Amino acid sequence: MRKGGRSLRNLGRPAGLEDIIPFHLELNGNREAVVEGCCGVLEYDDGVVRVKTRRQVIRFTGRGLVIRCLTADALVVAGYITGIEFMV
Amino acid sequence: MLALKITRWLLGYVRFSVVGGSPERFFSYSARAGAYFWNIAGRPQSGACVAARGYRGSARKAGCRLRVREKRGLPFFLYGMRGHRGIFAGAAAFAVILYLLSLHVWCVQVEGNVSVPEEQILSELSSAGLSPGAWKKDVNPGALAQSVMLKFPQIRWMSINTLGCTAQAVVQEKTAKPDIVDEKGVCNIKAASTGQVLEMKVYEGTPVVAEGDAVVKGQLLVSAVVEDQLGKSALRHARAEILAETQHAVSVSVEREQLRYEPTGKVVVRRNADLYGVRIPLSLAVKPHGSYRLSREKIDLRLFGNILPAGLYTERWEEVRPVHFILTKDQALQKAKQEAGQKIGEFLGDGKIVSSKSSETWTDNSLTLAEQLVCEENIAEESEIFTE
Repeated sequence: MRKGGRSLRNLGRPAGLEDIIPFHLELNGNREAVVEGCCGVLEYDDGVVRVKTRRQVIRFTGRGLVIRCLTADALVVAGYITGIEFMV
Repeated sequence: MLALKITRWLLGYVRFSVVGGSPERFFSYSARAGAYFWNIAGRPQSGACVAARGYRGSARKAGCRLRVREKRGLPFFLYGMRGHRGIFAGAAAFAVILYLLSLHVWCVQVEGNVSVPEEQILSELSSAGLSPGAWKKDVNPGALAQSVMLKFPQIRWMSINTLGCTAQAVVQEKTAKPDIVDEKGVCNIKAASTGQVLEMKVYEGTPVVAEGDAVVKGQLLVSAVVEDQLGKSALRHARAEILAETQHAVSVSVEREQLRYEPTGKVVVRRNADLYGVRIPLSLAVKPHGSYRLSREKIDLRLFGNILPAGLYTERWEEVRPVHFILTKDQALQKAKQEAGQKIGEFLGDGKIVSSKSSETWTDNSLTLAEQLVCEENIAEESEIFTE
C-alpha cells in the first residue's frame, strides 16, 4: 500500500495484493507497452529497453524501440517489440 | 492530442541532447524528481523534450552534460520579445481596442421580412437607436421591437437578438386576412352602371328585373325584401351577380411634343469606405451641381455570411439634359392606346370588352383618341339599408 492512499493500478483489488503484483504491464499488440510501477530506466537503445520495477527488471527487445514518455512511475515503450523478459 | 500540444506550448518546453555519462540514469533520476519527458531518443544521440523547468539538477548526478537544441513555447517567445516593448504596448493597445469595440453593435441584420423592405426596417431601427456603432448596453431589445412593430402594422412579431457585435432583428409578418363579407346587414343590389341585363345569378333577395331588361345606373336590381309562402316579408342581405352589357367612352389626349432627360456622358463617381459607421472618402470628387441623376450602391463586406462593419459606398452622378422631341404619329397613337388601356383596366375590373370603336382627332400638336366600348361586366353593387 502506497503511503497516503492506494495507487490507481491497484484500485478494485484486495489490499495487500500490490506486494504480490508489483507493477502493471499493458500491451497494445506488439507495438506499444505501458508499464506502471517502474522505478527507472536501466538500458535504452533502439533494440533493447530495460526497465526496473520494485522486484523485477523487464527487458523489452525489438526494433526501433523508443520511450515515448516517462514519468516518475510510468513509461511507454513503443516500436516493434519482439520479446519481453522478466528478470528477477 | 492538439490540446496536449497547446498545453506544452503554453508551458514551454526544451528539446535537449544528453552527452556523456549515463542517459538512462539521468532520465530515471529526473523522472523520480518529477520531470515529465516525451520524445525520448535512445543512444547514441540521447535526448528528449521536457517541460521548461526542473530537469538540470539530475544531470551532474548521472555524470552527463545536457545540450539544449531547441526552446519552444510561450515563455521563451515572451522572453525573446522582452527587448521589444513596442510589441507589448501594441498587444496591450490591441486588447484594449478590441475590448472597446466589442462593447458596440457593428452589424444589424434583418431576417424574415417579405413585404416590408429591409431598408425601411433598418432605418426605423436606426432612428430607434440601433445602428452600427451603438453601445450594446443601450440596446433594449423589447422596446426596440415594440417601437418598430408600431411603425409597421404588417409585422406580427419581432425579436432582436444580440450575438457578439451583431444585432439580429427577426421579423415575422402577418398573413393578410380575407375581406369579411358582412351578411348580417340588410342591403339591396343596385346597378353600378347603365346597360342591358344578360345573365342573373341571385343568391339572396328578390329580383326586380329580368334578363334582357335595360337598367340605368343606380336602379334597384335585387330587393332585400323577401316574401315567404305565407305572405310574410323579411329583410335579407341580398347577394347576386348581374352580368350586363354596358357601354363606356374613354378619351385620351397625348401631346406630340415631349420632354425627356438624356445623359450627356459626364459621370462623377464618388467612392467612400464605410468603416465602423464612419464614411471615409476615397475619391476627391465633390458633389456636383446641376441636373444629375444619382444612383447609389453599397457593398457590404462579409465573412462567413456575417456582415462586417466595413464596406464600400459608391455614388454615381450622371449628368442629364432636357431634350424636347416630337412624337411621330405612330408613336403618339401607340402612347394614347397604352394610356387608354390603363384607364379601361381601372374601371372594367374583371369585365371583358365585347367590341370597341376608336376615333382619332389630330391637331397641330396633339392627338385625342376616343374609344367607344361595349363591355360585359358584373354591375351588381350592394347598397346598404339602415334599419332600426
